[in-house]
Amino acid sequence: MRPSDRSYLDSHEWAQLDGDVVTVGITDFAIEQLGELVYLDLPSTGTAVSRGNSFGEVESVKAVSDVNSPVDGEIVEVNEALPDSLDSLQNDPFAGGWLIKVKVSGAAALDGLKDAAAYEDIVASES
Amino acid sequence: MANTETLLRTPLFEAHQALGAKLVPFAGWEMPLDYGSILGESRAVRNGAGVFDVSHMARFWFRGPSAAAELDHALGGCVTDQPIGKARYTMILQEDGGILDDLITYRTGEDAYFMVVNASNRVRDREALVSRISETSFEDITEDGGGILALQGPEAWRILRELTGQADLAPGFLDLAWPASPFGELFIARTGYTGEHGYEIFVSAEQAVPVWNRLLELGVAPVGLGARDVLRLEAALPLYGHEIHEAITPFDAGLRFAIKGWKTRDFIGAEALRAKGDSVTELIGLTAEKRVPREGYPVLAAGEEVGMVCSGVYSATLDKPIATAYVRKGAEGPFSVSARGKEFAVERTDLPFVPHRSRD
Repeated sequence: MRPSDRSYLDSHEWAQLDGDVVTVGITDFAIEQLGELVYLDLPSTGTAVSRGNSFGEVESVKAVSDVNSPVDGEIVEVNEALPDSLDSLQNDPFAGGWLIKVKVSGAAALDGLKDAAAYEDIVASES
Repeated sequence: MANTETLLRTPLFEAHQALGAKLVPFAGWEMPLDYGSILGESRAVRNGAGVFDVSHMARFWFRGPSAAAELDHALGGCVTDQPIGKARYTMILQEDGGILDDLITYRTGEDAYFMVVNASNRVRDREALVSRISETSFEDITEDGGGILALQGPEAWRILRELTGQADLAPGFLDLAWPASPFGELFIARTGYTGEHGYEIFVSAEQAVPVWNRLLELGVAPVGLGARDVLRLEAALPLYGHEIHEAITPFDAGLRFAIKGWKTRDFIGAEALRAKGDSVTELIGLTAEKRVPREGYPVLAAGEEVGMVCSGVYSATLDKPIATAYVRKGAEGPFSVSARGKEFAVERTDLPFVPHRSRD
């Protein structure tokens, strides 16, 4: 089971709320499906993001994939070091491999996302 | 996973499962994409030895006194002058000179040719070939329960000797051999698809699993189709559907060596090749910094589209992305490619990306 202290989007991104800031990353399942990573493209601070829409790209030996935002808001911090240290994303996607932090309007920003148990069903159906 | 019931399985399917392979549908077969690391498996072949299950590839036999003459007409290569006991790379062309497929013929006797063609083209190649012969007996043994194990890498020669127990076994490049072994007589060819010294071992249904297991015991790494694609592109070996297809002639693809006597011989496609002018495109190599130039990405020079990427992978050997592309002949760099609306720089590079050692 994936961490239960956060919410999940069907397209394999996670969102963790702290005050009015949501940290966003991609799940270990997404990483496993992608395989060995070679490239990560992240936007700049200040960029507006919206749920279900792409804010970046992650590329592996096998494929290029969009990274979608689980929430609406504005990016207040980007994991700037990550594109040059993809090992963190590869091996630690739920902590050191976070991608962006998004300022949201409040806890309601996570409404409609999946909890860890519901996300597990999605993983099972795609495994 | 969808449609797995309808997929064919090689005699090594369970061996792949036991190794934790990621199995994917490929040309109607359920095949190992990787055993955990495409890059690691690629390096294992370059640095030592790896074995690929390529039992999905289509295997045909042509037999009879007219086999040589009829195949000479059916193929772009000449097989009449192919020595017995040798393999040769050639192509099936369309009447218009376009490439239907590339393949290897193995002459095993005066009147006997074995042939391996791409799995994805099996039915189409079979139909084309059968329609081009009349006196020759044809047999498709692809589903006979046997298969092909490709043993590749600088250590392959030593492994082959250990596998067979034949301490002096030393087939030359493109040679065929039938060494005795603890698994009975093996049919091997010194061929491959990696640019390394290597062999393709044609195994019967009974030999497949024991030979595979023995190779792993000898320290050979199991290698999936993902790494196979990396290795063949590093060596700039063409792949049907990418560098070669119906709209490309052997000359466009820089594969003139695969065609014999195109000025004088009578084979299907020869007339069209003679009538065609010079190629208007050329196949070039590209390298990139981080992003992989992938199949179908437009290639740009000074902002103008001059071609398209055929194949792109992350090269394990060079530790950077590599690609092939067809560009307008004479197009000059600096080149870039357009990836999903974003442009990034690429550098033109000589082919192959990694020098061949297959004759070493």
